[in-house]
Amino acid sequence: MAQFSRRGVVKGVAGLAGAATFGFPQIWIKNSGLARAAGGEIKVGVLYSLTGTTAIIETSLNQATLMAIEEINAAGGVNGRKLVPVVEDPASDPATFAEKARKLVIGEKCVSVFGSYTSASRKAVLPIFERYHNLYWYPTLYEGRECSMNVIYTGAVPNQQQRDFVPWLVKNFGKRFYLIGSNYIYPKEENNVCKILLQKLGGEVVGEEYVPLGHSEFSSVIEKFKNTKPNVIFSTVVGDSVVALHRQYKAAGLDPAKMPMASLTTSEEEVRAMGGEFALGHFTSAPYFMSYESPENAKFVAAIQSKYGKNAVTNFVSEPAYFQVHLFAQAAAKLAGSDLTPPTIREAAWGQEYKAPEGLVKIDGQNSHTYLWPKIGEAQMNGQFKIIEQSKEWVEPDPYWAYPGQVCTPKGMVEKKA
Amino acid sequence: MEGQHKHPIWAKLVGYAAFCVVILILPLFITDDYLLNKLARYLVFGLVAMALSISWGYAGILNLGQAVSFGLGSYCMAMALKLRTIPIQTGAEGLPDFMVWNNVKSLPWFWEPFHSYGFAIAAGVLVPTILALLIGTFVFRARVTGVYVSIITLALLVVINLVVIDRQRLTGGFNGLTDLAPLELFGLTFDPYAHATYYLIAVSLGAALFLGLAVVHSKTGLIMQAIRDDENRVRYFGYDVAAYQTFALCLSAAVAGFAGMLYTLVMAFASPTFLAVPVSLSIVIWSAVGGRASLLGSAMGAIIVTGVQGSLSDTPAFLETWTLIMGALFIIVVLFLPRGLISLVDRIPLGGSARRRAAAATGAASRSGINAG
Repeated sequence: MAQFSRRGVVKGVAGLAGAATFGFPQIWIKNSGLARAAGGEIKVGVLYSLTGTTAIIETSLNQATLMAIEEINAAGGVNGRKLVPVVEDPASDPATFAEKARKLVIGEKCVSVFGSYTSASRKAVLPIFERYHNLYWYPTLYEGRECSMNVIYTGAVPNQQQRDFVPWLVKNFGKRFYLIGSNYIYPKEENNVCKILLQKLGGEVVGEEYVPLGHSEFSSVIEKFKNTKPNVIFSTVVGDSVVALHRQYKAAGLDPAKMPMASLTTSEEEVRAMGGEFALGHFTSAPYFMSYESPENAKFVAAIQSKYGKNAVTNFVSEPAYFQVHLFAQAAAKLAGSDLTPPTIREAAWGQEYKAPEGLVKIDGQNSHTYLWPKIGEAQMNGQFKIIEQSKEWVEPDPYWAYPGQVCTPKGMVEKKA
Repeated sequence: MEGQHKHPIWAKLVGYAAFCVVILILPLFITDDYLLNKLARYLVFGLVAMALSISWGYAGILNLGQAVSFGLGSYCMAMALKLRTIPIQTGAEGLPDFMVWNNVKSLPWFWEPFHSYGFAIAAGVLVPTILALLIGTFVFRARVTGVYVSIITLALLVVINLVVIDRQRLTGGFNGLTDLAPLELFGLTFDPYAHATYYLIAVSLGAALFLGLAVVHSKTGLIMQAIRDDENRVRYFGYDVAAYQTFALCLSAAVAGFAGMLYTLVMAFASPTFLAVPVSLSIVIWSAVGGRASLLGSAMGAIIVTGVQGSLSDTPAFLETWTLIMGALFIIVVLFLPRGLISLVDRIPLGGSARRRAAAATGAASRSGINAG
């Protein structure tokens, strides 16, 4: 998944001003050589963009990660050893991601790195983690179809977001879908899955269209909505385009009660950017919403807001960014200090469970993806989502769901014998 | 200009040679794979900035599309390496993974020749050169000059970037070409951390600097500089101005394409961000900071700027302010050293140039004497 935001630039500038005024949290180590010398510490990398186009969302991931690290350290660390985050700013640029990942893996010798929002940045750092047998923890929902032994994936894959969502849409609104997405691999994969589900349900695709990333002129698309009269507009548009699409939809006088947009990518963050009145009545499927009621989530939201301001929001990427650090700590706690290497951590992570804000999650021991709790939310005037449905059980991650015969295992992807 | 000295060519050669010696012996002092890789990356930037200096500094063509050549070179190399990766879905001889994902059934025709390293390396230089030839021919024959050339090259960059991202079935789109095999040539493996890769890049940069120096000091180079200073006067002398401008653009594109190929080796992937506007503008900034009218100055400008940028953003204290500091540094350099950092070197007086200056002054005095008389 990728998102683009001009707001990110504004945020970056604001961030600069803020940093100059308030100084820096103490947890950033001042001298990396010192930290390596101290044997009682575990170094982990934190690789989310603090500047550039995706800074606004990635800063929230950075904050959720650092908060989890503080919590773990406050509770005594991992078997008495403190986690030491090494924070880098890859500046929303794949090449810089690669440079900083090299520093974290080779230079700093971190045992794991938490990072990335876009698939492009994950793909850019992957060769480094594979070459040096290190471990990357990736919190974003993404298109699946990847089976790296050096990544722990804690975001949703298509089968988790869509398994309940598409049947629910068909039941409540009808069988005619219009698929609209941004033009890159994530929307295409999601739509591949959607088409398979629709076929099983006797549904019909009345239109499929991809707009360039950052596209903001939807009048011709909306004209097609009016002509084809779908029951559901299935949207995998990302970033600023989400805001434009929702605003132009409303301006064209379309009615969410008859032709709702059903999105896999619209979070509290996008709703806040467009304004609640434009999102009102549209639906999103995700494992986490800020409004979800559970003791763990209440604690999570309160902690984020007390640390980063009462207007701070949590979203379906920042929640996995937070809980994956706890999963890491649990895995590390199973190992003797001398035995703490990325491959042993990976093995220890398989099967780990953690009571996350969204519910009890578990890392799959075969494909290194995560069992999650899909929910369907309806956007409200206040920018929050009202949770309408939620899965009765956790949903197994299957990154190759749409491709029968292909399975991700700890030995890499294997073709099942037919 | 006050305080500036025109150094003789031998002084330049000594300076260039010293630089080459330094970059060649640096690896002896570096034990860390990661630092070597980082340094190699900075040298590639040096090469592409030096390429811009040929067209901008010496021929007055501000090519804002320098990243087109750089990116095309990078993709040519990446395509060859991608075809040598064994995809986990389709096995040996199979389609690249992203094509499988995009339901492409067979390898597109223009990918076929990239099975050959020879073709890929030639393409990495020739594709940007031919593109520059086309642009140059159309633009300079039509006597488009100055800022309009910059606008056209910038527009071309944006168009090519959009096409690469949009045609993801053929190009890998937004994610670029990832999961590449290392280059194996002459029994050497050029992977991102190998000393072989570093030396390949250092030798390339050294060779390009001397080649560039030879060109800019040739008759062609002098005419290029004359065109930069007064295009019409050169035209009235009967020179084919457009041909010289096109030559400068092509040479610059060829070197930048080669730099792009090296960049793929250092990064182990190719991304549409390599042929995007931010990279293109960075190249201009590097060259401006180092000194656009000096090949070595531009190369060093790139190395210094990216080096400072890398260490600033690596320093926890500057984690959130490094972009601001970089911006301030650029403004200071451009305001107070409009000819770039290399102009500091020009202020060093050398025996030879001082004598020549004295001679020039005498000559001027005697000429004015004649006039007066």
